[in-house]
Amino acid sequence: MKYLFLILTVARRECKILYVNRIYFFSMVVFPLLALFFFTSLMREGLPEDMPVGIVDLDNTTTTRSLVRRLDAFQSSEVVARFPSVAAARRAVQENEIYAFLYIPKGTTDALLSSRRPKISYYYNMSSVMSGSLLMKDMKVISNLGSAAVGQATMQAKGYTHDQIMAFIQPIRIDLHQVANPWTNYNLYLSTVFVPGVMMLFMFLISAYSLGMELKFGRGKEWMGKADNNIVVAILGKFLPQAVVFLLLIFFYEFYIYDVLHFPHVGGWWYIVLLALLEVFSSIGFGIFAFGLMPSLRMSMSVCSLWGVLSFSLAGSAFPVMGMDTPIQSLTWLFPLRHYYMLYQITVFNGYPLIDAWFHLVALVGFTLLPWFVIYKIKNAMLTYVYIP
Amino acid sequence: MSIFRKIYNWLEDAAYVWRFEMKQVFRDEGVLIFFIIVPLAYPLLYSWIYNNEVVHDVPVVVVDQSHSHLSREFVRLCDASPDVKIVCYAEDLDDAQSLVSRQIVKGIYLIPSDFDTHINRMEQATVSVYCDMALILAYKAIYMTSVAVTQKMGEEIQAKVAGNYTVREDLITSRPLDFEDVPMFNPQGGYGTSILPAVLMLILQQTLVLGIGLAAGTAREWSRYSDLVPIHKCYSGVGRIVTGKSLCYVMVYAVMGAFLTIVVPRLFHFIQLATWQDLLALMIPYLLSCVFFGMTVSCLVHYRENVMLLVVFISLPLLFLSGISWPQSAIPGYWQGVSWLFPSTFGVRAYVRMNTMGATLGDVVTEVRCLWGLVVFYLCMACVVYSFEVRLSRRHAQARLAHLRKKRELRLQLKARR
Repeated sequence: MKYLFLILTVARRECKILYVNRIYFFSMVVFPLLALFFFTSLMREGLPEDMPVGIVDLDNTTTTRSLVRRLDAFQSSEVVARFPSVAAARRAVQENEIYAFLYIPKGTTDALLSSRRPKISYYYNMSSVMSGSLLMKDMKVISNLGSAAVGQATMQAKGYTHDQIMAFIQPIRIDLHQVANPWTNYNLYLSTVFVPGVMMLFMFLISAYSLGMELKFGRGKEWMGKADNNIVVAILGKFLPQAVVFLLLIFFYEFYIYDVLHFPHVGGWWYIVLLALLEVFSSIGFGIFAFGLMPSLRMSMSVCSLWGVLSFSLAGSAFPVMGMDTPIQSLTWLFPLRHYYMLYQITVFNGYPLIDAWFHLVALVGFTLLPWFVIYKIKNAMLTYVYIP
Repeated sequence: MSIFRKIYNWLEDAAYVWRFEMKQVFRDEGVLIFFIIVPLAYPLLYSWIYNNEVVHDVPVVVVDQSHSHLSREFVRLCDASPDVKIVCYAEDLDDAQSLVSRQIVKGIYLIPSDFDTHINRMEQATVSVYCDMALILAYKAIYMTSVAVTQKMGEEIQAKVAGNYTVREDLITSRPLDFEDVPMFNPQGGYGTSILPAVLMLILQQTLVLGIGLAAGTAREWSRYSDLVPIHKCYSGVGRIVTGKSLCYVMVYAVMGAFLTIVVPRLFHFIQLATWQDLLALMIPYLLSCVFFGMTVSCLVHYRENVMLLVVFISLPLLFLSGISWPQSAIPGYWQGVSWLFPSTFGVRAYVRMNTMGATLGDVVTEVRCLWGLVVFYLCMACVVYSFEVRLSRRHAQARLAHLRKKRELRLQLKARR
């Protein structure tokens, strides 16, 4: 009972600090929400639509024009310009006017009708992997359709049935199941990792910052005094208000993406709540640990920001971890965002049982407990260190 | 005083500010971390992370219910492809799903029991592909491999059925319209080649802004009234302060910029098509605009650590706004407008297009002009905020002086009365 009272006293003191220094309000509420709306509105289309594509049509017949029209009708591509030569089109790619172009050489239709197997080419800019691969997919479909149309016309003339024609043109069909994300929606991939990642970055930074500010303004002794010189009480009291604010933030984020934007969540609400709790406590744990290792405001915040920025790459949501070198693969274990991402995709996104993500669950609990190793160092720092700017 | 004397004095003051700022930078370990260590270490680390560029041998499980010659051929061809590796066979779909759940495989190929029956009856057969959509690159590898393999097998079946005489005829039957896809500028479709040039340019801007902000925070903390501008005769004019400080930052970042844009790409064998003249013409406005942008931002900072809270988190949004990881044409208009405020948007675009895509300076002239526009804009902004700071510190100094005078008078009066 006495400890509970002490914790509340320290928490009340912390609330006052959070209220007075405006930077807390900005970095605990405004900036994370800004990141949330940034990512979800940036990718609201889900899949980039109508990317600019050019045409170099030296043949210019009804056949090639219908090919171009069909390309234009695709979701990802929009024909915006025609060029007299490949060199002009390449220049347009370099000027960022178009992302890809279709080259139809002279005599294509003639050769097609006389069965001389003409060749059309598709050039796409792979310096941006996402737009490049999407446009490449459209183009592959177009060329296959172009080929198929010729075969189809011949076979129809010979009197084959529709089923026979399909079985000849495409003997083996792929029945694709895109589990849990049938729209290939990029918003689902990226927002669900990068937004929690930005929030995690702020949790790291704010945990280290709030501890360091005690030292910087020489309030460490007062803080410890309020907690009766019990470091566990002091830490619990100090981070209680912060954890509550961050939990509300994460719950708002989850409400927004699952209830307003209707992101799929096969796993159900219990996993979502569990994930939020683990994210907040493990990140705060990491922040306190970083400060405990180097009880200096600037060093611990530098480490936290470098760690937070690296975790966007090492979470392995954009470029998979299995494609990285082995030492890097082990390194990813040190990043809470990696475990968050794995736990999220196994339990919430795909709805698989929690036991298959046990390692990541344990790791996140481990991050939560990390401060245990350093709290006495923090106590020592608070009572004896003097801040040097 | 003659005009030459005035210019000389001005230059001397600016040089004093320059020297003082340089000393500050090398004395402050926080600034050193962001000016020297991060630009040196981060590019190496990122290059190592994306070293392998593409994902090969994505693990896949096969549920072969057909057990036929044709189904085994399908599995063999998939396994032989560079992107997919068949790691195990499962009895049924549930079994296979539990392997996906345990993260042993990323996808399932299900070959139904009537697979070969359909083909031999000249009906359309089906292969079901189930992908774990948590990783888009893995999904692409699994799906594209299955498409390529079924097309190849389909061509063989077509050739058998068509009853042609020559190979050429077979080719014409299976694909009357041939096509070739040519990936430009990054032929292997490497992730690192695509994203790293953008990251390098972004590191330049972000570390510069962080470092300048930290240095400004330190200057405030050393000062009695937490003023950015110290009381000193060399710090009397805005022009001298801005010139002196920016000279210091440009000096450090001329080296760092050269390291990031020339040495790192060479170390890791990235594509490098820009000539040094073009690169120089881009980097000068880019560095200048970053420096003035950083100086403008640094005036907002009251405690030195606050700059980290402000600047670090925008790195990722800025990467997206540069149009490398998300196509520029798909960025909504209001975010495009926001992106014009940051030098990195234009710097990244111009650098990627010149260095990776072999554009000349003429092709990126819009971006370079926008950068020069930002240089002028942020130079004016820096002058405005510094003139405000100068006035503030002068007011503090005068108040202090008045206070001291009053104290002295009081003391004299007291002495006289005694």
